[in-house]
Amino acid sequence: MTILGMPDAMFLVFVATLLAGSLGAMHYVVVHVLLGKPVNDLAADRAAEGGDSTKDRATDGGQIDGGN
Amino acid sequence: MAEINPFYLGTFVVYLLIVLAIGLWGYTQTSDVMDFWAFGQEMGPWLATWSFVANFVSAVSVIGFIGAVYGEGYTLMTHTIFGLMLGTSALYFAVDRVRNLDLLTFPDIIASVTGYQVARPIAGTVLLGNGWLYLVMQLVGASLLVTTITGVPYEYMVWVIGIVFIAYTVLGGLISVAWTDFLQGTLMVGAVLLALGYMIFDLGGLTSINQQFASLNAANVHPTGQGAYTAIGIIATIVAFFGTIFTEQNNIVRIAATKNVRAAKIHLAAAGVILSVFYSALVILGGATTVALDSNGMAVQTQDAAFPALITNYVPSGVGVIIILAVMSAILSTTDTRLHSTGITTARDIYSYFRPDSSDDSQLKVSRVATIVFGITATAAAVNPPGTIIELYNFRAVLLTSAFLIPVYLGLYWVGLSGRAILASVVTGAILGVATEITGGLFGIPSTFIGVGAATLVLVVGHMLLGGSEPKGGAMAGD
Repeated sequence: MTILGMPDAMFLVFVATLLAGSLGAMHYVVVHVLLGKPVNDLAADRAAEGGDSTKDRATDGGQIDGGN
Repeated sequence: MAEINPFYLGTFVVYLLIVLAIGLWGYTQTSDVMDFWAFGQEMGPWLATWSFVANFVSAVSVIGFIGAVYGEGYTLMTHTIFGLMLGTSALYFAVDRVRNLDLLTFPDIIASVTGYQVARPIAGTVLLGNGWLYLVMQLVGASLLVTTITGVPYEYMVWVIGIVFIAYTVLGGLISVAWTDFLQGTLMVGAVLLALGYMIFDLGGLTSINQQFASLNAANVHPTGQGAYTAIGIIATIVAFFGTIFTEQNNIVRIAATKNVRAAKIHLAAAGVILSVFYSALVILGGATTVALDSNGMAVQTQDAAFPALITNYVPSGVGVIIILAVMSAILSTTDTRLHSTGITTARDIYSYFRPDSSDDSQLKVSRVATIVFGITATAAAVNPPGTIIELYNFRAVLLTSAFLIPVYLGLYWVGLSGRAILASVVTGAILGVATEITGGLFGIPSTFIGVGAATLVLVVGHMLLGGSEPKGGAMAGD
């Protein structure tokens, strides 16, 4: 049994690869576009609150609280 | 020496001038170090998508993958491409955590989850070595291909390509890199689809290509090459390639460069679709290349020569030019990204650790100087690459995945995970992964399993023993 001149198992590997690469797109379309669920964006929240961002910390050596 | 082909050479020169012009324009748009490092964190979803795609597809992808299909058939889909695509989608599901950390580099993330700042220069050095090796390999592949096609001697071509990509990367940083990626990514995908379309028409259809490919050797169209690859070997390779998607410095820098989480998610979602279609087309094109060369008595000595032979000896010049531009795009778009990563790794992860009060301007200068130094040394090494570089390069995926995948990403989700346990896990994974890769596995178990397994075991046991000690790493985004 062949599909497009290749065995079923090989054809399924192609299909599985296309599906594997498309998982993110399928999730985004269903969850964030069709269901309208917002993305988990803390950076935007911080910016709205006037908090620090990477841009503000570009040259502070990247120090973070709790570091050595 | 091969005869110089003025038509192909002229095309190549025009192409280099266009990317140089984009580099000069990028220079006018780069006002501070954040512009150079991360596009000022203003990259929109579609530019980010094509930049990711263009960086992802390298000389190894185009020349090496078509060569691999020429030598081993479609089994490449099973053991390599499936893992890469699964990794891209998996990173999509973790990207909100990564983007919400609001950190620029992978060593930044390691320092964040462990609580140890010294992890930045240590991890940065490992990533720098990895990035430099990748640069050398890409330059060797690029120069060999362009030499074959244009007829210009290899030692000149290495320096021409090297100087051009160093120049535009140094000028505009990620702004130059991203916009040249946009051009290159579009060209690549379009040209591979066009080339496949031409070959399908030329060889009598997709089914005909696969039937002829199978008639050469039935293993060509078998998922495991009729047993050439074992199930455990395939799973180990899938895990190794899956892990590199999460641990490559350039992927983390790109996520940081996106303007928000939405753009970060879209760019991985869209790139996953584009890349899975692209690689499926590329693998079929590999089958078509094999059929075309074999049926016309043009068999090549080495599998990496298959695609250049198709371009120079089989397809018409008009199609050949478009494919050459696509291949050049694949090579330069990956090379410039890795070169850019060496600059940001040096300045951000190493220099700024030892000079935490250094100014914006001095970090920009260090980034640019490092970009030039690593670019020139990689080009010089590519002129006559020592065998050890090629051997070391093979450890790349095993090292990155074994050392970083489990401890760092588990650290993003596990609140209060012991920072010492994460560090111990990174060191154990790195040592055992590389050591068993050198010795060819242990008791028949692939090195990736040993590295990842040991890292996981040390992480869990270490946390049980050290869980009460400081610092506490882990999960500061989205909780």
